[in-house]
Amino acid sequence: MVSSPALSVRSAHIVLDGHVVAENLSLEFPGGRTTCLLGRSGVGKTSLLRHLAGLLPGTAPAGPVAYMAQRDLLLPWLSVLDNVRLGHRLRGDAAARHAAGPRARALLAEVGLGHHLDALPQTLSGGMRQRAALARTLCEDRQIVLMDEPFGHLDAVTRFDLQDLAARLLRGRTVVMVTHDPLEALRLGHEIRILSGTPFVPGPVIAPSGAVPRDPADPELLALQARLIGELRTGG
Amino acid sequence: MSARFIAPVLMGIFMLVLWEGLVRAMAIPPYILPGPILVAKTLVSDWGTLWPALVVTLTITLQALLAAVLVGGALALLFSLSRWIELSLFPYAIILQVTPIVAIAPLIIAWVDDVDVSLLICAWLVAFFPILSNTVLGLRSVDRNLLDLFELYGASRWRTLLELRLPAALPYFLGGLRISGGLALIGAVVAEFVAGSGGRASGLAYRILESGYQLKIPRMFAALVLISAAGIAIYLLLSLISHLLLRRWHESALGEER
Ligand SMILES: Nc1ncnc2c1ncn2[C@@H]1O[C@H](COP(=O)(O)OP(=O)(O)O)[C@@H](O)[C@H]1O
Ligand SMILES: [Mg+2]
Repeated sequence: MVSSPALSVRSAHIVLDGHVVAENLSLEFPGGRTTCLLGRSGVGKTSLLRHLAGLLPGTAPAGPVAYMAQRDLLLPWLSVLDNVRLGHRLRGDAAARHAAGPRARALLAEVGLGHHLDALPQTLSGGMRQRAALARTLCEDRQIVLMDEPFGHLDAVTRFDLQDLAARLLRGRTVVMVTHDPLEALRLGHEIRILSGTPFVPGPVIAPSGAVPRDPADPELLALQARLIGELRTGG
Repeated sequence: MSARFIAPVLMGIFMLVLWEGLVRAMAIPPYILPGPILVAKTLVSDWGTLWPALVVTLTITLQALLAAVLVGGALALLFSLSRWIELSLFPYAIILQVTPIVAIAPLIIAWVDDVDVSLLICAWLVAFFPILSNTVLGLRSVDRNLLDLFELYGASRWRTLLELRLPAALPYFLGGLRISGGLALIGAVVAEFVAGSGGRASGLAYRILESGYQLKIPRMFAALVLISAAGIAIYLLLSLISHLLLRRWHESALGEER
């Protein structure tokens, strides 16, 4: 596998309609690792991801990225399978699209939607839709993956399983994952940054030991979780 | 189905009975107000004149609706592609829409030699705007986040139009189509009225005028009933088409429970 590139933000200004989200922001996201961004809602996590994806005016993506938005953004008129293959479908390359079929099916099976390939999105629950969106993001097979609260709508057990799945499938890629759940960040992140303030400033790198996905019963993790929650409360 | 269907039918029967009863009780002469039974009888006895008239009016209506779909849809696409074209043309579309058709119809009928074509133009003028404005709205209200997603996926402008903008605009377009269907009929009837005896003397509106002159009031009512029935049929047909196209995915066509 080609080694995944690092991502960096240098002296960026993120301004939305006059609202300054970040000023003179510099951040490094190491290549091939997962960085989790924690922060209260409204701090600017989504804006930072959109900046990285090149979706804000005056920005360009660092390369081909897979982006999983906060909302599932499934097309209501396409089946689950076609939604997962959407990228290939849109690039209009018949061969690639054909090749994407088995991959999309396998991914859907792994996220537990193997029996819903032909279902339309609105027949699925919120959690199932989010799983379909996750499968779509992973189906893109990009070296850079940006995810905005990817497990937000899942029940605790499913969330746990999918965190394991994501950790496995995202291994070796450069991942920036936004979450509001400290434990999730601790399970999946090689590095964790807390964003706080208006305009936000990133806190120092927190790098728990051990390989991901980490065991949530690990006392070190639980101690770190208490620390993160404390920092989130005072930092907001 | 049940209450939605039964309630208006019961109401209709009640009104018809009341009408017939009043006409009889007060001995209203048929040239003032014919009762529903007489109207129904006239509908049958004059079917030979009324049916061809209905066909003429419906033909104009459907042609006008088709033209409205083609021109309204094409203009909407053009507007969505170029802000400049939209800015320069949309105000004129609005002016055409707000100018009463009865005011322009005599001009159009005078300018265009072929009466059928002039009637068609009048009906089209009334019908095309809802399709245009609804489709423009639909093409423009595509979720920004979906557009971003398509951009990230490297979709070309053409692909985005085909795979995102058009399907997303379809419910809006169909909503406009349903309104336009009724308007096309109204436009056709109004134009026939204006054309009057100068026209080809064949549509339902002309039959109404003619019956008025000849004091054949029951026939006038029968023609009115046909126009209403045609309007309802058009609406139901377009609703059915809309339902068939959207039933799989659009909120408007889905059942209430999930
Ligand atoms: N289009 C916009 N115009 C002005 N302010 C915005 C806009 N979008 C978001 N914001 C503001 O920017 C801040 C950051 O938003 P966002 O990045 O979505 O936060 P988060 O994802 O961390 O919850 C919020 O305070 C929000 O009110
Ligand atoms: Mg957000």
